[in-house]
Amino acid sequence: MMNPYLPVKATIAEIREETGGARPIKTFRVVPQNGHAFNQKPGQCAMVGILRVGESMISISSAPTQKGYLEFSIMKLGKVTSALHAYEVGETITIRGPYGNGFPIAEWKGKNIVTIGGGIGQAPLRPIVQYILDNRDDFGQFDIIYGARSASDLCYKAELFELEKRDDLKVHLSIDMAEPDWKRFVGFVPNNVLRIKPSPENTIAITCGPPVMIKYVIHNLLELGFSEQQIFTTLENRMKCGIGKCGRCNVANLYVCKDGPVFNYATLKGLPEF
Amino acid sequence: MDMLILKKDSLKDFLSALSPDYALWAPVEKDGNTLFQPFVDWQNTLPDLTHQAAIIKQTIFPQTELLFSFDQNDQMQEPESGGAKQNILFGVRPCDARSFSLLDPVFKGDIPDPYYCARRNSAILIGIACTEPFANCFCTSVGGSPCGQEGLDLLCTDLGDRYLVAVLSEKGTELTNKTSSLFLPAPAEDLKQGADLAQHAARSMKRQVDLEGLTEKLSKMFEHPVWKKMTLKCIGCGICTYTCPTCYCFDIQDEPLAKKRGRRVRLWDSCMYKEYTLHASGHNPRPTRVERLKNRMYHKFKFNVDSYGTFGCVGCGRCITLCPVNEDLIDNLVAVKGAA
Repeated sequence: MMNPYLPVKATIAEIREETGGARPIKTFRVVPQNGHAFNQKPGQCAMVGILRVGESMISISSAPTQKGYLEFSIMKLGKVTSALHAYEVGETITIRGPYGNGFPIAEWKGKNIVTIGGGIGQAPLRPIVQYILDNRDDFGQFDIIYGARSASDLCYKAELFELEKRDDLKVHLSIDMAEPDWKRFVGFVPNNVLRIKPSPENTIAITCGPPVMIKYVIHNLLELGFSEQQIFTTLENRMKCGIGKCGRCNVANLYVCKDGPVFNYATLKGLPEF
Repeated sequence: MDMLILKKDSLKDFLSALSPDYALWAPVEKDGNTLFQPFVDWQNTLPDLTHQAAIIKQTIFPQTELLFSFDQNDQMQEPESGGAKQNILFGVRPCDARSFSLLDPVFKGDIPDPYYCARRNSAILIGIACTEPFANCFCTSVGGSPCGQEGLDLLCTDLGDRYLVAVLSEKGTELTNKTSSLFLPAPAEDLKQGADLAQHAARSMKRQVDLEGLTEKLSKMFEHPVWKKMTLKCIGCGICTYTCPTCYCFDIQDEPLAKKRGRRVRLWDSCMYKEYTLHASGHNPRPTRVERLKNRMYHKFKFNVDSYGTFGCVGCGRCITLCPVNEDLIDNLVAVKGAA
C-alpha cells in the first residue's frame, strides 16, 4: 500500500524575494529528486516540509504546463515557513501531494475568465494565468485583477508588468493607498472590481485573498450580475495530514484539504462556518 | 452461526493457547483503572470484564504512532511491519466493536491509511456482551445494542460459570477450531438463557434519548444560543475526545533525536483545543469553546451523517462518565431537541 505520509525530497533550484517587511514572501522553485513527477492540476496544493521541523500546506503557484519543477510562494509566518525562509538554493526540502480538488479548468473552455486576487492570494491564481496563456485559444476574454496594500506588497511584480504589455489579456493592478510613483488604480480590490465591471456574460470569476476581501469581492460580483455558480474561491485552514483524516480543516462536513481548497460559491454559501 | 460453550475455568487455557501466535489485548485493571492493554500475564491474572475499559481505539490507532524515522542524512525509513503478530482484542464491548466500523470509512476510504489498515485488517475481535449496561450507556439510542454483534468475530455472553460463545466470522471459526477441545456445542437451555439476557439488557438501558429528526434540526441551529449555554461549564480539557472510541483527530509532529536523527510521529489530538485550528496568522476559525463544542456535536450528529450516513457516536457514555464538570452528552442532545 502506498504510504501517503511519506514525502519525497526536492531540491531548491531558485528563490525569488517577492515582498519584504515583517511578513516577507519568497517564491521557491523546487525540483523533485529522483525524477518524481507531480502531475498537479491548477489550484492544487502540496505539503511542503523540512524534516525535524514539520510541514505546511502550500498552494502550488506554478502551472502543470511548466514541467520539471514546482513553485511555492510562501509567507514567513509560523514555524515551518520561518525555517523555509532560512533555506538557500541547493538545499533539500520535502514535498508530498498534490492534494485537493484544483480548479475545474477544463470545464471553463470557451469562457471568459477573470481572476481577482489580493496579497498572497495571487499564488493559487497564478497557475490559472499560466494555464490560460499556454492554451490561449481555448478561452475568451481574460482579465487579471490583483491588488495589495502597497506596491512593495505585490507578488510577481515583474511578471505582471510584462503581462500588462500583452494585448490578449488585461491586467488591472491596484494598491490600497496612494504612492508617488504609482500610476495605476488606488483603492481596495473589491472597488477595483466595481470600476472594471467585468461582464458576467459567459464568464467565470475566481477570487482568492484575505477573507474580508473575498467577502466583498463576491458581494460586488453578485451585484454586477454574476450568478453564484460563476464564482469560485479557495479556502485555507490549518492542516496536518492533507488527506482528509486528521480532522482540523473541516468546514461543515467538507475538508478543505480533500474536498477543497477550491469551492464554488453556490456550495460555500450553504455551509455554516463560511 | 455456531453457538458454543466455553467454561470460565477454561478461559485461561483459551488465552494461553492463543498467546504464542497472537498479540493479546484485554481490559486490565491497574491502580483502580481498567485499560485496554497488551495482555501478557495470562497465567496469573484474568481480564477485568466488570468495568468499561478505556480506550480500545489505541489497539488499532495508537495514541502515539511512528510514521517514519530519518537518519543524519535525511534518509527516511518506514517502521518495519514484518514479523508483527496479529492482534486479538479480548473483552471488546459491542459499542467498541461498532466504533471501528465508524472509523473504517475515514481511514480506509479515499486515500487508505496504511498504518490503520494493517492493524485493522488483521485484528480479531472477541466481544463480551453487556448483559448489565453501565450507568451512562445509551447504545440503543444511536443504533447499537448491548449484545450487538457488528464488527465482532466472537461474542461471549456471561452465563455464570460459563460463556455462551457466538461464532460470527471466518476468523472466529479459525480461533475456535484451533482450540476446539475447550468448546462444547451450546445446549438449547443455554441458547435460551443467552437470548433472555440480551432481551433483559436491551430493556435495562438506564439512559435513552430519542434522536429522530435531530440531524435535520441541527441544519437550522448553527447560530442558536443553546451552544453558548451548553458550553458554560466546559473547561476544554478534551477528555471527551480522548476517551471517545469514534474520535480520530490527530496531530503530526517531528521529534529530533540525538546525532541529527529524528522521527515523525502522529498523536491523538482534540478538537476541544484552541491550537487545533489556530492558523499561523493568528486567525482561528473556532476561537472559543462554544465553537469547539458545537463543532464536536455537529461532527457526531450531523457531519458524520452527511458524509457516511451514521451518527459518529456509539453511545458508550464514557464522555459523560469521565467529564470532570459533568458535561452530559445526553442532556445536551435533549437540550438541542427541545430548543425552540
